[in-house]
Amino acid sequence: MVVAGDDLLTIESLGYRYGERVAVRAASLTCRRGEILGLLGPNGAGKTTLLSCVSGLLAGHDGVMTFAGTPFRPATDAAARARLGLVPQDLALYDDLTARENLVFFARLQGVPSGKVSGAVDRALALAGLADRADDRVRAYSGGMKRRLNLVVGDLHEPELLLLDEPTVGVDPQSRNHLFESLQALRQGGRTLIYTSHYMEEVQRLCDRVAVMNDGAVVAIGTAAQLAERAGTPGADLERVFLTLTGRSLRDDP
Amino acid sequence: MNLIAAGWWIAKKDLRAYFRDRTGLMLGLLLPIALVTVFGMVMKFAFGGGSGMPKVELWVVDDDDSETSRRFVSALRDVGMVTVRPRPGDAPTTADRVRQRVADGEAHHGLIVGAGYGESVTTGKEPQLVLVRDAGRTMESRLVGIAMMQATMAASEGKSMPWLLASMMRRQGMSEDGVARVRAAMEMVQGVIDRFVGGDADLRAPEKAPAANFDMASMFEGMVPVTHENVQPPSRPKNLGYQLAQSVAGMSVMMLMFGLMACSVTLLQERDQGTLRRLLVSRAPRASLLLGKFLLCVLIGMLQLVVLFAYGEMLFGVGAFRDPLTLLVLSITWAAAATSFGMLIAVWARTQKQAEGLSTLLILVMAALGGCWFPIQIAELPWWADLVTHATITHWAMTSFQGMFWSQKAFTDPVMLRALGVQWAFAAVATAIAWRLWQRRFAGG
Repeated sequence: MVVAGDDLLTIESLGYRYGERVAVRAASLTCRRGEILGLLGPNGAGKTTLLSCVSGLLAGHDGVMTFAGTPFRPATDAAARARLGLVPQDLALYDDLTARENLVFFARLQGVPSGKVSGAVDRALALAGLADRADDRVRAYSGGMKRRLNLVVGDLHEPELLLLDEPTVGVDPQSRNHLFESLQALRQGGRTLIYTSHYMEEVQRLCDRVAVMNDGAVVAIGTAAQLAERAGTPGADLERVFLTLTGRSLRDDP
Repeated sequence: MNLIAAGWWIAKKDLRAYFRDRTGLMLGLLLPIALVTVFGMVMKFAFGGGSGMPKVELWVVDDDDSETSRRFVSALRDVGMVTVRPRPGDAPTTADRVRQRVADGEAHHGLIVGAGYGESVTTGKEPQLVLVRDAGRTMESRLVGIAMMQATMAASEGKSMPWLLASMMRRQGMSEDGVARVRAAMEMVQGVIDRFVGGDADLRAPEKAPAANFDMASMFEGMVPVTHENVQPPSRPKNLGYQLAQSVAGMSVMMLMFGLMACSVTLLQERDQGTLRRLLVSRAPRASLLLGKFLLCVLIGMLQLVVLFAYGEMLFGVGAFRDPLTLLVLSITWAAAATSFGMLIAVWARTQKQAEGLSTLLILVMAALGGCWFPIQIAELPWWADLVTHATITHWAMTSFQGMFWSQKAFTDPVMLRALGVQWAFAAVATAIAWRLWQRRFAGG
């Protein structure tokens, strides 16, 4: 029986290097079913590399991953990948296609059954607030509209775990709020999310728990309050907690 | 900031980016050098006889093997306008093999020097010469005719002139007036020779104009009495000249490669626009991405070929749709081979600039060497260059398309099957390499 709060994804001692450069070192964390887990760290901390290993984009990493208690090898197992959705940092859309055409294409590729494609596309368009512009080419969209579409494409097949890699980069406040509402709606619908960001306020606002990454390692994981206690700064905000845990500011260059 | 300073900063920024992609830069610089080298060498071998005329390959069988016949063949070798095969030192060929070569389209002229040739020449009789040819190759036929005349004169040490003229007049049934025209023609020949040898001859038109129906070239062609064996396929459209068939086939083969290259680099575009990550994370098998691009290219290639051939049919009547099944098989085969080439370049290249640079270089060079621009057979290539032309995939595509257009062969013909087989083998090898590279660079992480 699936229960909210169970461990969905467990990562143990995951490591990855690009040639000589170590990008992720012995990272371990657990993501629970139904939560939004924030991955917080400055640029170059290893967040995207960690997500790439989890999504199967990078193979040949050290360590072990399990998904709902079973070994998880998304790089080589298409069925494992089907349990995931990815919202990449780049706008991964086809500008010459309409929003509807983009959604139908990705739905097909994600294995959404033919009879359910239309419903999935309409649901995604509604979630993105793009139903009235569904048949416009993406090229004509504003940056915020593209970001919203980028988000719902990743969730078309209703994956168990949705990976979001800094989905608010370059987004205006209004569109950011819309994205947050969409993410909250997904969480309320039972979706589990891993959300990477280097924006403290986003993580604080959205996430149930936070994993702090620095220099390729997960240095701490817990709720904001737990992290503050662990850092010896009870009641402090994440910015101060991060500074205490890592000795550097989130805005520092890596 | 003033206009010039701003312009300089923009140029400097672009130069920095341009020089940063070293492989792309090298390919860009290499392209003109490679093209100059390849075309220069081909032109040198093609038009290196000094006469400015291309050489015609002539396969010769000496069944007489007398001193006179050997002198005749040797004299043919010395004539600048033909390349006599087999080369000296190669194994001699047979009349049947030469007939087969011409029938297969591998050679367009074969000359069989019959037994008794030497005796006929020395006794003033007409010698036994059989010219196996594709009658549609009119330009080459005339060059071969002129070459045979020169060689006959040289081999007979001038003794053949009376019978050459007598024979020609007898066959033509000419009147005395006709004889006079022939004499006029010979005077004109002397004039032509003076032009080439002296360089300062009077190039003005002769005061006495030749007869209105005088055709010097065709007269030369027919001076040496030969029996013609024509192998022109009866189904070939009458208005289809060799050069026209060559152009349609050559341009189709070359342009398809360019067209499919543009399709293949959509793989790089997927990576650059970020959609590749999303596709790789999807449930679809990763091989399906490469397969999808392959299908896209083959379908667009087929469409491009159909449009090209339909246009060629409409404008020139090239008979492209005479055998639809053969056309289909050839088109699918070439589209698959060209697509494999495009995919290989696309997965090898790190940037679109590299892909475009390398593909342009290879396509133009392969097109020239494969005979897309002009019949490569006119070039007297050294053995290694001949080997290189046969190693280009365009050579085999041209063999198959010219086999269909010019020789009117079906795809089941052994010559066609061999050309198709080579293209499929290339497609298989190139796809396998592309697949390995794809796994390593794109799909494997």
